[in-house]
Amino acid sequence: MNDMIKMVVVLTILSSVSGGLLASVHDGTKAQIENQQLKFVKGPAIKTILKGSTNDPITDRFKIQDGDVERSFFVGKIDGKANTIAFESFGKGFGGDIGVMIGVNLDEDKLVGVSVTTHSETPGLGAKAKEDPSFSAQFKSLSTNDSIKVTNDGGSINAISGATITSRAVCDTVGKSLETYKKIKPQLAEQIKAF
Amino acid sequence: MFNQKKFVVSHAPFWHDGSSLSTRHYHIMLAAIPAVIPGFIQYGGRAVAVVCFSIATAMIWEMVVNKIAKLPVSIGDGNAALIGLLLAMMIPATTPWWTVLVGTLIAVVIGKQIFGGLGANPFNPVMVAMAILSLSWKGIFDFNEALLSYDFDFTMAYPLSSLKAFGPDAISSFSMTDLLMGRQTGGIGSTCGIAIIIGGLYLIARGFIRWEISVSFLGGVFVTALLFAMFGEEGKYAGPIFHLFTGYTLIGAFYLATEDASSPVNFIPMLIYGAGCGIMTILIRNIGAYVDGVVLSILLMNLANPLIDKIRPKALGKVVEK
Amino acid sequence: MAKSIVQEFTKGLWQEIPPFRLVLGLCPTLGVTTSVENGLGMGLATTFVLAGSNILISLLRNIIPAKVRIACFIIIIATFVIIVEHLMQAYTYQLFQTLGVFIPLIVVNCIVLGRAEAFASKNGILPSTADGLGIGVGYTLSLGALGAVREILGNGTLTIWGDLGFNLASVFPSFQPFTFMVQAPGAFIGLGLMLCAINAIGD
Repeated sequence: MNDMIKMVVVLTILSSVSGGLLASVHDGTKAQIENQQLKFVKGPAIKTILKGSTNDPITDRFKIQDGDVERSFFVGKIDGKANTIAFESFGKGFGGDIGVMIGVNLDEDKLVGVSVTTHSETPGLGAKAKEDPSFSAQFKSLSTNDSIKVTNDGGSINAISGATITSRAVCDTVGKSLETYKKIKPQLAEQIKAF
Repeated sequence: MFNQKKFVVSHAPFWHDGSSLSTRHYHIMLAAIPAVIPGFIQYGGRAVAVVCFSIATAMIWEMVVNKIAKLPVSIGDGNAALIGLLLAMMIPATTPWWTVLVGTLIAVVIGKQIFGGLGANPFNPVMVAMAILSLSWKGIFDFNEALLSYDFDFTMAYPLSSLKAFGPDAISSFSMTDLLMGRQTGGIGSTCGIAIIIGGLYLIARGFIRWEISVSFLGGVFVTALLFAMFGEEGKYAGPIFHLFTGYTLIGAFYLATEDASSPVNFIPMLIYGAGCGIMTILIRNIGAYVDGVVLSILLMNLANPLIDKIRPKALGKVVEK
Repeated sequence: MAKSIVQEFTKGLWQEIPPFRLVLGLCPTLGVTTSVENGLGMGLATTFVLAGSNILISLLRNIIPAKVRIACFIIIIATFVIIVEHLMQAYTYQLFQTLGVFIPLIVVNCIVLGRAEAFASKNGILPSTADGLGIGVGYTLSLGALGAVREILGNGTLTIWGDLGFNLASVFPSFQPFTFMVQAPGAFIGLGLMLCAINAIGD
């Protein structure tokens, strides 16, 4: 009986110490990891979306509380005027979460670009959403009021062959991001003046 | 103490036709000569150099390994020379010297000696070398690219590449007699079909290789290609005769698949083994991504060899359970 | 019986060098050694986990009940692995991306659990630290060596943290990379040949 108690106690203590330690490590490295991801994953995506911007969108960023989530917005100055923002949101793909970065022009209410950041889709099929530029190019210059759908569902986006679910997920995520955009547009317009 | 001479019982195969290892290997090399000579004539000094260098380096590597492993030097049995010759027969005449050097190193050391030398190798050493070489240096072993500097009076495209890239319409310019007579591009000693067949028949007649493997190999190629041509999508697959006379099919059937240590010894397993090689060859050529499937199909069947060799006659005098 | 601390450390460098003498931890050995950099990075991550878990387990060796020792070891090892994962993500993000799933897989690396069970749970803290560091450094060196062989043959280059760059093509302009060596079967043959060489050299 004594043994039994000892086992339980030791295991419990070990687990809780380990849990506490990991939580603090997680907190300690969180900011740094975010920075690294910005630099190596989101950075290139933002750069392609906000191509031609004269500033550095990664440093010119601000955060807005949207319901439960805090979102980062990256500002791009195109033609000398800060009127374009890029932000990331997540949707459910075929193999897990898909991160999609979209860029919107505030003046014209138009998409300037879409880029997949993180994903765990099937290599060669769904992964093309990130690798094949012709898929994401289709989103370019769609209006924010258009409904974003694949052709099978009556939309205008040609799905990647063999990866309908991924294509749909990307479209859904873009649609969701646009909803968010419309909802917080006044705030965005307010914030962007600072740049 | 009771002292009696013990009977030494070894396991099968018990076959013996009186020839020693070296006569075997030298006869196989002799039989390969008719196939190599057209290569010499076609490709000139380059081909002679590649063949000589390949045989020489294979023997040198064998000796080096023997010395390192402190074993008796075994280049006298002719196997290293045979490996060098067969490897040279499969590669283009323009192969650079260092590729040949690496090829014979892989064949003799990794393909054969590491497993314990002649007779213990689970794979055909030449096939191991060919597979690794062609995976590593695609450009050197792409016959279209490699033989660019030659100019012959027949179609200069490698038949199997044309088939893979442009479909059977592109190969209508190859006449079957041309293919059989060696008027096609390819390895130094693997193009002249008629010479390979003559050499192969000589080896079969002398009992150095088993007809079961060669015949079932060719049968497998023929039947599978025929099925594809008959039932496959119209205008997508080439006919069986074309497959028989192109690429490594003939050299594979007579010289490569029949390698002693890596092929079965019983009648039915030999048929299965040969047919498996043939079927796999056509499957790789018609469906797979590679241009020629002989090398990989023989390697795959080498792998299956211990398994299919389990099909054997019942032992005599065994107690039968009721 | 009692070996000196130095001996405990140096045995991991040759007599018990993990992939070659103990033939343990082969999964990352084969999986990530496509370049020196990956090999060394993987080795260092494993060293950190090994040393950390060895120290902690030898500290706690009298407290941990024998019946649940494996569970306790795994908790400790997993903690260190997650720490290393976070740290690599934070400071060496690109290396973290190339090593990918092999970092979390350090948990199931038999070297780590093997050292915990066979050594740290029976020895004091100093020998255990020396043992963990020694085995870890030995592991790092072997991964680096295999990575170097594969990278130089298969790619013709040798790059360590981008600073020390070497290109075989600058010495032999006609060199064509032996691509087979950076592919999966090349890892097996490379490892086999190195095992062979190490055995030939002997103790």
